This record gives sequence, C-alpha cells and structure tokens, in this order.
Amino acid sequence: MKPAVTIPRRSEVVRNHRQAGGAIAAVLPIHYPRALLRAFGFLPVEVWGPPQVDTSYGAAHLQPYVCSVVRNGLSFLRSGGLDVADLLVVPHACDALQGLGSILLDFIRPRQPVLPLYLPRGRRESDLDFLAEEFRAASQRLSEITGRVPSEAELLACIVREEEADRLLAELHRRRTELPMSDLAFYRLVRSREYLPAERFAGLAEEALAQAGDPRADGVPILLSGILPEPMALFEALEEMGGQVVADDLACCGRRLYPPGSDPDPFRRMAQRILNGPPDPTRGSPIEERLAHLLRLAEQSGARGAVFYDVKFCEPELFDLPDLRRELTKAGLPSVAIETDLNDPLSHQTLTRLEAFLEMVEGARGKGQEV
Amino acid sequence: MGLPAAWRYHWNVDLLGRAALRVNRWLAQRRGDAGWNSQVLAPPLRVSAWNKELIARHYLAGRYANGYRKVAWVTSGAPVELLKALDFYVLYPENHAALCGAGRVVVEIASEAEDAGFSRDLCSYARTDIGTVLSGKTPVGRLPRPDLLMACTNICQTVLYWYRVLAHHFRIPLILIDTPFIYTEATDHAIAYVRRQLEEAVEVAEEVAGKPLRMERLREVGRLSQRASELWMEIMERCRHRPSPISVFDQFIQMAPVVEMRGEPETVDFYAAMLREVDERIARGIGVVKEEKRRLLWDNLPIWYRLRYLAEFLGQHGAAIVASTYTNAWGELARMIDPDRPFESMARTYMHPILNRGTGEKLALMRRMVEEYKLDGVILHSDRSCKPYSIGQIDQRDRLIREVGVPALLLEADHNDPRAFSEEQVATRLSAFLEVLGLA
Amino acid sequence: MTQALGIDVGAATTKMVAVDGEGRLLWHWLEETEPRIEEQVARFLAAAREALGPLDGVPLIATGYGRRLIHQATRRVTEITCHALGIYRELGHGGTLVDIGGQDSKAIRIGPDGSVVDFVMNDKCAAGTGRFLENTARRLGVGLEEMGQVALAATDEVTISSTCTVFAESEVVSLIAHGVGVPAILRGLHRALVQRVVAMVRTVGLEPPLMLSGGVVRNPAVCRMLEEETGHPVLLPRHPQLMGAYGAALLALAETGRRGDGENTG
Repeated sequence: MKPAVTIPRRSEVVRNHRQAGGAIAAVLPIHYPRALLRAFGFLPVEVWGPPQVDTSYGAAHLQPYVCSVVRNGLSFLRSGGLDVADLLVVPHACDALQGLGSILLDFIRPRQPVLPLYLPRGRRESDLDFLAEEFRAASQRLSEITGRVPSEAELLACIVREEEADRLLAELHRRRTELPMSDLAFYRLVRSREYLPAERFAGLAEEALAQAGDPRADGVPILLSGILPEPMALFEALEEMGGQVVADDLACCGRRLYPPGSDPDPFRRMAQRILNGPPDPTRGSPIEERLAHLLRLAEQSGARGAVFYDVKFCEPELFDLPDLRRELTKAGLPSVAIETDLNDPLSHQTLTRLEAFLEMVEGARGKGQEV
Repeated sequence: MGLPAAWRYHWNVDLLGRAALRVNRWLAQRRGDAGWNSQVLAPPLRVSAWNKELIARHYLAGRYANGYRKVAWVTSGAPVELLKALDFYVLYPENHAALCGAGRVVVEIASEAEDAGFSRDLCSYARTDIGTVLSGKTPVGRLPRPDLLMACTNICQTVLYWYRVLAHHFRIPLILIDTPFIYTEATDHAIAYVRRQLEEAVEVAEEVAGKPLRMERLREVGRLSQRASELWMEIMERCRHRPSPISVFDQFIQMAPVVEMRGEPETVDFYAAMLREVDERIARGIGVVKEEKRRLLWDNLPIWYRLRYLAEFLGQHGAAIVASTYTNAWGELARMIDPDRPFESMARTYMHPILNRGTGEKLALMRRMVEEYKLDGVILHSDRSCKPYSIGQIDQRDRLIREVGVPALLLEADHNDPRAFSEEQVATRLSAFLEVLGLA
Repeated sequence: MTQALGIDVGAATTKMVAVDGEGRLLWHWLEETEPRIEEQVARFLAAAREALGPLDGVPLIATGYGRRLIHQATRRVTEITCHALGIYRELGHGGTLVDIGGQDSKAIRIGPDGSVVDFVMNDKCAAGTGRFLENTARRLGVGLEEMGQVALAATDEVTISSTCTVFAESEVVSLIAHGVGVPAILRGLHRALVQRVVAMVRTVGLEPPLMLSGGVVRNPAVCRMLEEETGHPVLLPRHPQLMGAYGAALLALAETGRRGDGENTG
C-alpha cells in the first residue's frame, strides 16, 4: 500500500528548523510539555533509542542490565548523533532514565545544557500542584538558557496548538482502520509527532483523515502494548503473517493521547494534560486502571488478542505483566509477551512467537464459529 | 480487635515467645565464642545474640499480629514514624527478603514469582517478596497479611511497581510518598510536595488504624528514631579506628533494628550496648580482621548470600571492609530529624537518602569516606537488581581511580539472587584487586 | 496413498512426513539440517517421490526454523501449532507439551480439542535449550549420545546455580578444577536445564498429562528428571522428533479436505 501522505524525514525537519533560526531540544522518553519548549523556540525532537547504533559508547557508562532505550540514547549522544541539539531534556520516566539524567549532569557533561524533569507518580491534587511548579521551574531555567521570557499569552497559544495536534492524533488512532494505509504507514505517520512541529503534524493528520473510507479488516485484530514498536519492520511482518494492529497501548503512541487541559494557568494546564493521559506504569498508574483501559481499548477496537512487546529490563512494564495477562485471559483476551532489544533485528524466535500467537487466536475463532 | 487474637498474641509473643527467646539469647551469650572457627576474623559481637532475639521477636509478633494489631508493609526508606506512632505492626519486605537471602532460600521462593510470570530481570527483593506472598514460603513461619501499604520512592521507582502488585493482590490501600529525585538540590516545591503527602498519609493511616495520630506520640517516636540513628552513626564512625573494631559485614547484620525497629525504645538500648562493646574492642586493641593491612569501602547493597565468603576471602589477605555507603544511609540523615517539627523535617529527611541524590553526590560521599576512614581501596558492587544504586558506578569508579587515586573494583553480582553470582569470576577479580592493593 | 506432506526444518534436524487420507503416518525422512536448505529440501522431495511415487497435487506445509525458505510449500505454519496438532493426533488428548530443541524450547498447553491454549518459549538466554547441555558437555569431553546415561549413572550430583550459559560454563570449569567428577557435574547440568524448562511449564500452567517431544527425548536423564521435578509421568510419542512435521502434514491434509484441491509440490 502506498503511503497516503508524504511524511518529511526527521533529518530534513531538523535542518529546516535550524536554518530558519530555530533551536533543537533532544528529548528522551516519555512525558514532557512540548508547548513549554516551543514557547522558548525549541523544536522538541524525541530520542527513543534510536535502534541500531554503536552501543559501545553507552557501555562505557552503563552496565549491561540497563535497557537498550537508555543505552542507545546515550550512545547516540556520545557518537555525535545529537550534535544538532541545543538542549537535552531528560524526563524522569524510570530509574534508568533517572540515572542517565544524573550521569549526564554530573559526569558526562555534554556541550548542551541538560534539563531534567521529575514526573510525579500519582494523580492527586498534590501531584498536579507539584508538576505545575516543576514546569514553572523548568521555564525559569529555559529563560536563563535562552534569555527569553515568553508571555503567558504566548505560552497559552503554544499549548492550544499542541492540544489541536493531539486532538488530531487521537482521531487518527480512533479511525485508524478507516485510513487507506498499512500499519507501517500509520505508525510512520503517528510517530512523526515525535519530531514534527505541532502545526505541521496537524496538517498531515488532516490530510490523512480526509482520505478516510470504509474500515478495513485485514487480519487477526490485535492490541499492541509496550514501549515502542521497533524495529518498525514489525508491522510488515505482522501484516505478512495475517495480523492487524487495531489499537495500541504503546508508551510512544497510545499512552500519550493527552486530553486538552482547562486550567487558566498555563503551567497547571500543561500538568493537567499529562496527568490526565491514559494509564501508564511510569506515571504510577495502578494495575486496575491499566487493566480497565486495555479492556476498553480491546472492546472499542475489536482486538482479539494482545501483544506485550517490551524492551528487556524495562521494570515498569515487566512488573505489571503477570497480573495484566492473567486478568485479560480471564476476560477472554489472550496475550503473548515478547522481549526485545533495540539493537536486535526481528529474531526468528520473535516472529515465530507472533505467528504462533496469531494462529492460536485465529484457531480459537475458527472453533468459535463452528460451534 | 478480636479478643482471642489479642489473647493469642499476648500468650505467644509477650509471654512464651519473649521468655523462650530471652533464654536462647542467654544460652548463646554463655556459649560465647566457643563455636567460632575463623583464623582470620574476630568472633561476632556479643550483642549479636540480642540482635537475633530482637529480629526473632519481631517476626514472632508479626506472626500473631493479624486480628490484634493493624499491619503495614513498608519500603525501607518509608517515613515509618507515622505508622509507629499509630501502633501499626510494621513489616519490611526488603528486610525479610534479605533474611531469605542470607538464609539461602531465595531461589526456591523467587521461583514461585518467576513461575507466575515475574521476569528474572526484576529486582530480586521484589521477586522474593512476591514469591512469599504467592506461596506462603518463608523461613520465619508466616508473614502477617497487611492492612496498609506504604511505598516511598526515595530509594527507587521499583518499589512503587512492586507495591502496586501487592496492592492489587491484597486489595488494600497503598500510600504513595513520592520523593522527587534530587539531581542537584532539593527545590522548595519538591519539599512542599513531600510534606503535603506526609500530611495526607496521616488521614489514610488513621482511618486504617481506627484511631487518631497523637502528636506527642509522633514526637516521641521521632526522638527514639533519631536517637537510634545517631547511635548507629557513632558505631560506624568507630570504624575510623585502626584496626577497625567491626567490618561492614557486621554492620550488614546489625543494621536490621535501625531499619525495621526504628522508633522503639529497645532499639536505642541495643545500639547503646553495641557502641559500648565496640568501644571495649577498641580499648583492647581488637580488630575485626586479625591482621588488618588494607582498609576498604563497599558501595551498594550487600551480597546477602555470600557475606561470610567475602569477609573470609578478603580477611585472609589482611583486607577489611570498614565502611559502606549503604549502612551509612541509615545514620547520615539522623541530624535532619527535628522531633519538634516532625512533618517539615521528615519531608526533608526522607528526600535526602543517598539513593535519591545525584550520582555526583554519591561520588562526593565516597571521596569523603575514603578520606575520613583512611581507606586504601573501594569495591563497587554492581548490583543487577538495583539500578538507582548501580548506574553511575562506572564513572564513579573512574573518578575514584583518576582523581582520588584509590584502586577501585567493579564487582558484578546481585544482592539476593545467587544465580547471578559467578563465584569463579568474583574470586578472580577479587584476587587481582588484592594484587593491586599489594596484598597478594 | 499419500495425501499430504509436512516438513519441519529445525535448527538441528530437518524432518519430512507423508500421511494418507486418514492422517496415518506413511513415510518419514530425517537428516541433520544443512546450511543450503533449499538444496536439501529438493533432495528430500526426490527421496519422497522415490519412495511414494509421483506427488503432483499433494499439498505440503512447512514449519520450523527454516519454514520461510521452503518455496515448494503450500503454506507455512509455526512449529507451535504443528507440534500441538501432531501430538494431539498421536496421543489422542490435550495436556502440556514440552519440546526442547537445539535453538528454542517451548511449553505448549493444548486444549481438549487439540487447539493451542497458551504457549511460552525460552527467553533470549540459551539456558533452557539443548545448546546449554551441548556447550557444557563438550567441555567435559562427553559425547551428546552418552551424556544422559552418564548423568543417570552418577552417584553424586552437584548444584549448578548459574542458569546463564556463560556463567554455568565457568562454574563447570571451577568444579573440574576442584576435582569434582564429570558424572556429578553432568547430572547437575541436566538438573539445571530441566529446572529451567519446568519454570517455563509453570508459567504456562501445567495441565496434565505432561508430554515431551523433540530430539532430547533420546536423552533418558532429561525425561527422568522432568518426571522428578514435576511429579508427573512424561508421555512420549512413538516418533518424538517428527511431531512438528507430522502436525504440518495433518494440517495440509485438513486443508485439502476443506478446499478440495492442493497446490503442486513439484
């Protein structure tokens, strides 16, 4: 299937933005306020790994039991991959990213300023107040770095723009089967949110939504959960073996469908948006909330199986798995758990597990229909 | 509170248990060093028998707690003073797991969690605890079912995922005390955030306890807690003496009360006695390693299932590990507690454990300890199960060698899972390190 | 007469099976897998034709590690589904099937109707696979064929605590250096492998009866210890190494029945 929209390449977007006098903020996973960075002239460009880098750079600072997302991020930085960045943002998503942020500040001391951000692990009033203050402090720091002081109105305008892009992102997710594109093309599109300015992403999203037609049902419908779908060849492989991703609970995608905020204070509004996002173990969501969310996703999308596609050593994901899988099975949604490393190509075993899982789900349906 | 439960508790814990354990301790103390067979290490302290009694009584009380006292399970860095002041029976799953580690039953218990789908890449304390919860297996008889959980993120985020699993399993409230990681310095809004969570925690804990928190009692617990921590710090500081009267292996064993029985009067008495005995050793010129030639620092959690092996291995060559960043953590914060401003000072105190501060701060601490304790080398245990403690060690080791000028060894292992420990590899590395220290 | 074919290209061995219209096993062929799989498969088909006569229109389903390379196949299906089908037909009931291969090991829970209810495979580490034994046995100078017997004959057993293949190897080296006998070490190694496999079985949930397939069945120590560790008798099919290929052939047969035609296997 041909891509329904043309997505600009990451390197090209970065180059253009810099040529136009803009600055680049390289941002590590997962949650952060895009609008705040934009208000200071930074284009956030996210660093999820990336896959296939020379990991020896990261190995010089991190033990082998640190996950490949963090190890590759550091390797990419040390091998010059982030030289285009003027700022490094390290959100506190887990102990490994905490450690990375800390060694960057204390030992590695890259050329760029490093801005760590702590994310509270609850959804209480105190968490909201804290996060708003954390953003206010970050804003202060950004002022020191850039010498700029955006007005409240400017900041609000940036927030509104991000909210619009996120609204369209959520719509893409909701209507994914109506779009004339393969799963791979769909994920290329939604993941372009990781580096495109909100206004450009919104344009692409509208273009894609305009082409929406009848829902397609190309294979065994599955729900994909985990951190990130790498390598992206995963989608081609799934398609080839007769599977179709109809919903996701991926940290880089479905867990970042932030609802709009309502608070008149811009900092509180940004905090509100992140805290009101879908359940996420790295934000401390209870297992019951995650379970209810996954069941709701499966019901809305018609998914008949769930694939937990997790990065090896990822504690926030791995702790929840046994309870989630057991209770999803009880609710009639079978699942499979697969561990990956960003530097490995899709292994034979991974493909076999996925294929056997699809055969299992398909087999169950066959039986169901005969009865 | 059920009357039979209360009766059972008093009979088994306060009467029979107390008496039997006291007799045990008395017998152990009378036996003294009779059974000690090490050529290179001094025998254990006499107070060890008291420590054993305290721990045994603690788990015995736990065994009969349900139905009589409310039970809370808490993380090792939790502000336990609140719960103690509300008379909770407080259990530390981390301490229990360490006890399983030292008793070498972790593989059997953790397998129960692994069979249920918990990955072997997860923290071995968590796997041990979840294994006990799922199977009931424990060397202490029985763990009481919790009525309340309290997780404080000042040691890691792992505890929160782990306690979410417990909350889901037991269907009970989980109090989260989220302590923002201090990359450079603690911000005012972070301290205010922690303080507010502490205040809100009181409401939840009071509801579960069925009684209100009395401030006078909280101040009393705070004072006892502070006193125990101060004594603990004093004991550790005695290791500046050459030869060192005790080693970190003694500290690992003797630290249990300051972690899990903080805020109790007997804990204070225990450490006062321990300090007296340590001073007595110093006065008599007794060193824990009979021929102390080199003094070392230990970073990170102990390797619970190989304490004696490591102590002997190093001791044979005249190396004594006399200080550790780990045991230090339960003493260094004592001065921050102000019993008269409990919430304010608790917020600050519980934000500042070494694990909640930057990797550069830990290097600074190690640097300071090397100086103050006159140390010749550092062993950094790279603990597969503890990322917050371990990440940064590669750079810390590098700086210790280059800037401080002390030999430093990174030792790959796991604090509780012997399956991640290769004795052959460890022995080779330690031998090479001892050669560097001129001890071969 | 031959109605369907199945081929299982495993990491260690390649197997082909022919079945008649009733799904009875008519013929089979087994060789060590060669690097040039395509050529080897062409040779397999030639052997089949020689033994069974022309195979035009007989459907072939490929499974196993190299299934994607079999361009003659009507369809490719994973070894999970095929093993379940093969063993179900062979033994006539569901339960829990353990298959220990050279590259991968798996535990498959099979429902009372022969369908796959759940399955697990070993993680990236090789500790639960045949390779774990092979690597370490080689160090001890014991042949693959005899190591099970040697292990069973041992009077002592040492504990191999490391489940990591690399660690286990260094543990073995150290045990040899300490003068521990080879049989005791071998017995410990078998125990470590079986315990790792049993951990997989528990993850999937042991639903008796317990069945075992794969080349490892020829190793008596693995069967015995699997029984000891689980407390369940282990049932073995007549052709433990053929279950994947047999299941593939059965699936091909079922599909001919459904579609009424078959593609040319050449």
